[in-house]
Amino acid sequence: MLEFYTEYWPDYWDGTLVTLRLVVISFTLACIIGVIIAGFRVSPVPPLRSFASGYVALFRNMPLLVVFFLAFFGVGDLGFVFGPFPTAAVALGMYTGAYMAEVIRSGINSVSSGQAEAGRAIGLGFIPLLREIVIPQAVRTVIAPIGNLFIANFKNTAVALTISVFELTYISRKLINETARTWLSLLGAAIIYTVILLFAGWVFRTLEDRYAIKR
Amino acid sequence: MSSVLIEELGPRGKARVRVATIISILVGIVLLALVVWKLGTAGQLTWAKWEPFTVWANLEFLLGGLVNTIKAALAAMVFSIIIGFFFALGRLSRNAVVRGLCVAYVEFFRSIPLLLAIFMGFFGLLAAGLDVGAFTSLVVALVAYNSAVLSEIFRAGIKSLDKGQTEAAQAIGMRYWPMMRIVILPQAVRRMVPAIVAQLATLSKDVSLGFVIGYEEVVRRGQGFPGFSDAGNFQAYVVVGVVYFILVWMLARLARYLELRQRTSSIGTGAAAIDGAGLEDIAALSEEADAAEVEAAAARGEDPDRVVDSQTRARGAAEEQGTKLNEARKGDRDRRRGRD
Repeated sequence: MLEFYTEYWPDYWDGTLVTLRLVVISFTLACIIGVIIAGFRVSPVPPLRSFASGYVALFRNMPLLVVFFLAFFGVGDLGFVFGPFPTAAVALGMYTGAYMAEVIRSGINSVSSGQAEAGRAIGLGFIPLLREIVIPQAVRTVIAPIGNLFIANFKNTAVALTISVFELTYISRKLINETARTWLSLLGAAIIYTVILLFAGWVFRTLEDRYAIKR
Repeated sequence: MSSVLIEELGPRGKARVRVATIISILVGIVLLALVVWKLGTAGQLTWAKWEPFTVWANLEFLLGGLVNTIKAALAAMVFSIIIGFFFALGRLSRNAVVRGLCVAYVEFFRSIPLLLAIFMGFFGLLAAGLDVGAFTSLVVALVAYNSAVLSEIFRAGIKSLDKGQTEAAQAIGMRYWPMMRIVILPQAVRRMVPAIVAQLATLSKDVSLGFVIGYEEVVRRGQGFPGFSDAGNFQAYVVVGVVYFILVWMLARLARYLELRQRTSSIGTGAAAIDGAGLEDIAALSEEADAAEVEAAAARGEDPDRVVDSQTRARGAAEEQGTKLNEARKGDRDRRRGRD
């Protein structure tokens, strides 16, 4: 059993690196999209608000697989051909971004409006108000949901194998074909996922314990 | 406009919003025109490419995929609820071995991708000599994965009940199962119904992953339907997306409706109470219900701020429950350490 893992460790390692790269890029993108869409969603301009809620509804109600296929094959048919990895990173970023926008919006709304009113009463402008009052309080309530999103995003990278990104789950699938040792191949990937995600969960719980508002 | 960031606008602010509205509408029209133009020049808007979707035989084939999706989702849901329920009780058990096994199961299936679980259900069972077919494999994988998720929802639902409920039941001499059946579960289940429906919506999205093992759900059928070669990737996936969107959207609406009804019947705060389970769709559900309540209040001519206040209080209560759950988790850990 151990020989299996020592022999195929390089494959797993390559897969893990691809998965990690995909996670970092897509999650960064998701954060950027999330902030923009959440900003649109709380803005006083009606068309921006409807655009944002349309975006969120669209990505929340469509399976990730369909998003990937539309982005890869569908957009490819329009004459924009990108490689599997960039497509996967952008599609996953846009998908997680819709959830991220909801998390950020709920974080902003969780700050009591009295706080902002008090800020305005002492003459803070929009940006100082955000920086000094709203964001420090909002961040604390969104740590836990962002942690959950990160974990969900990490697990969703596996779907990228459908457009032939050679990430961790793809590797275990490939090893099944090559070695015919099904359970060993699958468990190798499962253990790597479990170790990384339990660690990530621990990190976010620690952050939450440290920064979350104690009531 | 009820947002913490923006106060009632004055005349200058209103003028600025008007300008921004016009500009954003213009930008939107230009972008839309660009997309349509690009689609047109790429030849994606010709009738020939969309015509296959007006042929009844093709549509019937696609809708057959929808039936398969719903079948797998329902089967998986029923079994995951039953199994998830036992794992929740197991995790709350006083027996350390039972608790440990349940924790291991739940944490394992919560931290692997669903696709890996699907491969286990298909190739793994095949390697074990069980050739059960795509449907059973998919359902087994979905059940393994979702029973772990649901068991956390159940656990949070049970934990969110007041401790006095258990104590009262014990005080009048109820044993474990009667107490569960008569006192705890009826209350916990009612609280959890919206979250369960929301999970059903997520689950029906996840059925699409059955694609990788050849299960004939909508995506697979969208690739293999008779008119596929006349249409194209773009058209097929747009139609598949629309089919899934309608299904999931309806389930999400149902979850939201249940959540709202739950709140007005004032038996706790529904999904908000089990936020601790940490499921993005469910958290979003309680958010949406918040917004819908405020809108409804404004429509009735009431003061929306009062609704927001009561929601903040409810959320405070829910967070308290979440904190209790976390404390319980810590308690579990400490007790385990104490025993070692």
